[in-house]
Amino acid sequence: MNETAVKRRAVAQPKRLSELKSVGRSVERIDGLEKVMGAARYVDDLDFGPNLLHAEIVESPYAHARIKSIDTREAAKVPGVVKVVTGKDFPYQFGLYMKDRYIFAQDKVRFVGEQVAAVIARDPKAAMRAAKKVKVVYEELPPVLDTAMALKGRPELIHPGLGDYQHVPWFFPKARTNIAHWRKTRKGDVAEGFSKADVVFEDTYTVPRYAHCAIETHVIVGLHDLSGRLTLWSASQSPFTQRHLFAEALAPLGLSHKDVRVVTPYVGGGFGGKAGVSMEILGAALATAVRGNPVKVRWSREQEFYNTYQRQGLTARIKLGVKKDGTFTAMEHVLHWDAGAYVEYGANVVNAVGLSATGPYRIPHVSIDSLCVYTNLPPGGPYRGFGYSEFHFGLESHVDRIAKKLGMDPVELRRKNAIREGDTLAYGAHMNPNGLQEAIDKVSVEIGWGREEHSPDPSKVIGKGFSLMWKAPAMPPNAASAAFLKFNEDGSLNIMVSGMEIGQGYLTVMAQIASEVLAVPVEKIRVETPDTDRNAYEWQTVGSHVTWACGNAVKKAALEAREKIFDLVQRVTCLEKDTLYLEDEAVKCKTDPGFVRPFKDFVISGIMAPDGTWKGGPIMGSGMYMPEFTSATGDPETSQGGHPNVHYTVGAAAAAVEIDKETGKMRILKSVLAVDAGKAINPELVNGQIVGGMVQGLATVLYEDMRFDEKGRLLNPNFTDYKIPTAMDVPDEMVPIIIETPQPDGPFGARGVGEHTMIPMASMVANAVEDALGLRIKSMPITAEKVALALKDKH
Amino acid sequence: MATTSHRISLKLNGEGHTLEVESNDLLLDVLREKLGTKSPKIGCERGDCGACTVLLDGKTVRSCLILAVEADGREVTTVEGLGKDGPTALQKSFLKHNSFQCGYCAPGIVLAGHELLAKNPAPNEEEVKEALAGNLCRCTGYEPIVRAVLDVRKGKGRRKGK
Amino acid sequence: MAIAHEFAYHKPKTLEEAVKLLGGFKGSARVLAGGTDLIGWIRDGLIAPDALIDLKGIEGLDRIENKNGVVRVGALATFNALRESPVIRTRLPLLWEAAGMVASCGLRNRATMVGNICSAVPCCDSGPVLLAYEAQVALRGKGGGRKVPVGEWFVANKKTAIREGEIVTGVEIPVPARHGACYVKLGRYRGEDLAQVSVAVVALPGQEYRVAFGAVAAKPLRARKVENSLRSKGWADSVKRLVPEEISPITDIRSTKEYRVHMAQIMLARGVRAAVSRLAGKGPAYGTKVI
Repeated sequence: MNETAVKRRAVAQPKRLSELKSVGRSVERIDGLEKVMGAARYVDDLDFGPNLLHAEIVESPYAHARIKSIDTREAAKVPGVVKVVTGKDFPYQFGLYMKDRYIFAQDKVRFVGEQVAAVIARDPKAAMRAAKKVKVVYEELPPVLDTAMALKGRPELIHPGLGDYQHVPWFFPKARTNIAHWRKTRKGDVAEGFSKADVVFEDTYTVPRYAHCAIETHVIVGLHDLSGRLTLWSASQSPFTQRHLFAEALAPLGLSHKDVRVVTPYVGGGFGGKAGVSMEILGAALATAVRGNPVKVRWSREQEFYNTYQRQGLTARIKLGVKKDGTFTAMEHVLHWDAGAYVEYGANVVNAVGLSATGPYRIPHVSIDSLCVYTNLPPGGPYRGFGYSEFHFGLESHVDRIAKKLGMDPVELRRKNAIREGDTLAYGAHMNPNGLQEAIDKVSVEIGWGREEHSPDPSKVIGKGFSLMWKAPAMPPNAASAAFLKFNEDGSLNIMVSGMEIGQGYLTVMAQIASEVLAVPVEKIRVETPDTDRNAYEWQTVGSHVTWACGNAVKKAALEAREKIFDLVQRVTCLEKDTLYLEDEAVKCKTDPGFVRPFKDFVISGIMAPDGTWKGGPIMGSGMYMPEFTSATGDPETSQGGHPNVHYTVGAAAAAVEIDKETGKMRILKSVLAVDAGKAINPELVNGQIVGGMVQGLATVLYEDMRFDEKGRLLNPNFTDYKIPTAMDVPDEMVPIIIETPQPDGPFGARGVGEHTMIPMASMVANAVEDALGLRIKSMPITAEKVALALKDKH
Repeated sequence: MATTSHRISLKLNGEGHTLEVESNDLLLDVLREKLGTKSPKIGCERGDCGACTVLLDGKTVRSCLILAVEADGREVTTVEGLGKDGPTALQKSFLKHNSFQCGYCAPGIVLAGHELLAKNPAPNEEEVKEALAGNLCRCTGYEPIVRAVLDVRKGKGRRKGK
Repeated sequence: MAIAHEFAYHKPKTLEEAVKLLGGFKGSARVLAGGTDLIGWIRDGLIAPDALIDLKGIEGLDRIENKNGVVRVGALATFNALRESPVIRTRLPLLWEAAGMVASCGLRNRATMVGNICSAVPCCDSGPVLLAYEAQVALRGKGGGRKVPVGEWFVANKKTAIREGEIVTGVEIPVPARHGACYVKLGRYRGEDLAQVSVAVVALPGQEYRVAFGAVAAKPLRARKVENSLRSKGWADSVKRLVPEEISPITDIRSTKEYRVHMAQIMLARGVRAAVSRLAGKGPAYGTKVI
């Protein structure tokens, strides 16, 4: 075998003169040792003693049915069973952006797998046996299994009470329909725009549902102690949002926010699936049913597939007008989202795309309709990319096709229309500084765009595909982050923040930011995972926004601590504050080179004044950050007038794909992705996001998808038939490229990159397939089977 | 029919244990709940993901598909045992190459890599990928994991450690 | 998820004891070897045995021996044991090649070839290989031992010719003197997968062929028409046209019927080409994937 080194190559960045000591360096991740030594603890690893109870959930076998009766008597008799509860015990609604969910199904079930009752027992085996004995009588209702069915003439209504649901003011549900939210964005006059176009081209693209597949399933342990305090140990991306929703939902039981505490140790992967509240509400509710005993709810892999959030399915119709010279004149984009049975979170995915479905292009006339449609499939929700991966598949396929119609190089067409700083966005705000042109250039060079490649194997052909991407964090206008930090006796630091380390390296990045400001080496900084009682507030770890937002809060906290240090030193030494600076774990003075005051000498116990008294005390800092320029006040008919997004991260990707014309099997020879990180606080961690995101994105186009039968049952709730990549399924070569166009309001210029790396992958492969075979596939995934059979039909 | 109880003895990370198990107890659950060894993780419970990997007499197995009673008289090694005297060269290499993100798959992958190098001290890239293919990682795209294993193979020379 | 189902566990020390125990349960006990299928099936509620009889206490059942031109693979021999066996590698390269494509390393350390043919799912990798090698299944029951040709072993999906009270002790594989072979397996990607189609080809001197398919019918099958055609005129594209007559695939979550038929033809062509080339002492090396 021809021996090759592992080929992942980071393109060298121009060296910058920089005085930064920690930021911009690939320091080793601070949670690394715990993880390689098996010392890292996840929720299911925590010990709760012999009182720990186990819950097993009784689930709906039907996609849509009325609950006629529930008989729990036989189940309650099983030895070891402590309690059996049903929807009657918890008649409460909850939801993040729209309160359309229930802790347990009430009168109706709306998807296969929905929780109907729970058995709590002393051991898991007894709970499982008893759950089988809960007798539920259903009356089946016609299920609504796709958006076409949900939107046709007089559809079966999945939520007849939709008109009465509470929701955020920027959602626009249509009562007595299955449309939970309709985001409309209008800019200019599309009719005029199309009339100016030389080519107007329209087509429809479809994207199925996908599963996050974090290797750790959802798990929560709840303890409602005898004093009334409710503590949850939760595998979550959103401890504070969980606390808020638990406290709200369980308020009728007399709980308030101060009584609820959420503790989140390491999380075994999130990808959006552990954002918000899904099954975790069960742990909170069940704990109140068995006060004084901790109770664990752990999802099996099957449940993880069918009863958490899923990535929503999409049918998107795109109409694009373009002049002969390649200038885009108008776009109409209509997106129907299969959002599932409950949309309390998923509707915001629909909303985000409704604002940004132009993609990273300057288009004068725009009309976007993004519809959140209820179906009787499992609830949709956030998934790495937050709707952008889905619409980019159609959009970036469409751009390639229109280039072909114009006889123009698709990269040239993209370059010509790519959005620039200051351009007016579809909803009226302006585009932030970005390095999209640089990304296009670097990716083109790296992939050898325009250079044809041929496989040595005559049964194989090689094609190249290109795609752009952009994405903004989707957040409420007042999503906030905060940070505390405190010094220890030896001058080391503890930082208490509540973003989640879901693998992206957040803890390390926060340490690097504080390290930069306070001149404490990263190895002397501990950043703990959240506990809502003790750590500072963080809205959620979603939207690739924590490096930017929480990073700002940490920086502010560090600056506050620095200020306290300067104040103290000035007070005691009479050195002017503005001559002081921090270096090598000490305070130094620009005007007095001999002055060096190591942190360890004073950050806890203060400094002795000439008179023998002591000044100062433990140095701490706090910081908060909220983007005070955002608003969600856009007009419901046009979205004009608000400033819903903080900024966009942009990038470009390309691949060379080798395809076997007989089998349809594809091999990614090379995959390149450039992302504008603003400033890579830790380049190696950014590379990790690029490489990991590329592989996850490639899987969605090459083989993953969720399949349901005609009854709405998920056919592949396991890794045997929902294939996620193995070590053998990665591209032969992956090239991450980091672009750094500083984000003016980011910490050291940084903006987020985590989700973005998946977004261009599907369209990139679709475009490479067309390049290689002249075959356009408009539905994901583009499996070997689909390619082979399409080729067979063609010939 | 009822379960049967069994008194089993096994060696876990070099130390002997004798305990009572039921016939339907899984090795994974017994390691975690009765023996307090938490590095083998619950991932798919059907052998697909490799998160529960342990070494049974030196060979990687899926502890979710083995009855605890089957481990009677056998030797079980987990990552806790592997790194008892400090991180192994492979563990250090994983650290150096930023090989893991969320870390949930790490214990299984460390053991899979360990087994490979024990059998084949100088594997090529394809052999590394094949040996790790039963351990799913959703975060990293595997490339930094493969790179770390290749970095410690024999004949390659220990490249500038940290 | 623990196993809620209750069953007794027995670990006999001799085959006689095992047969006696099994007989006592009158069909309600299952034999345990590697357990990689069995434990999952119990947890999923697909089977609910009253007892498991673990063969791993019986000496010698894990052996792989070559005697008088017949390789005997014991009931406890794992796929990785096959991979590491020089006898298998040199004498039965088709089995060696296929064993490396079964599941993943961690499963192959545990899963046995005999367990694979006892589970008898249509996509089992050992099925087509043992058909192409014309192996025999060795059984032991209360009344003594018997042998069943693999061609008669697979009866239907998950059904074999085993009788109540019998234990498979091993498989006997007559070693073809000189042969080239190829196992071709279709998966949805390069990583571990269950076969959507599999083809085993053995090419013998004198234009003799043995061809067997997996995952394209309720059981693995021998493709006699294909073999006859190859024997009479060697490889020709017309051989491909016989494939749809031999197989009866279904559409399921893993593949459509249409793609299975399409791929069975292509895999046969590439498998025959590789087997013939290997017979001639040329590449591709065993273990190299041809699709």
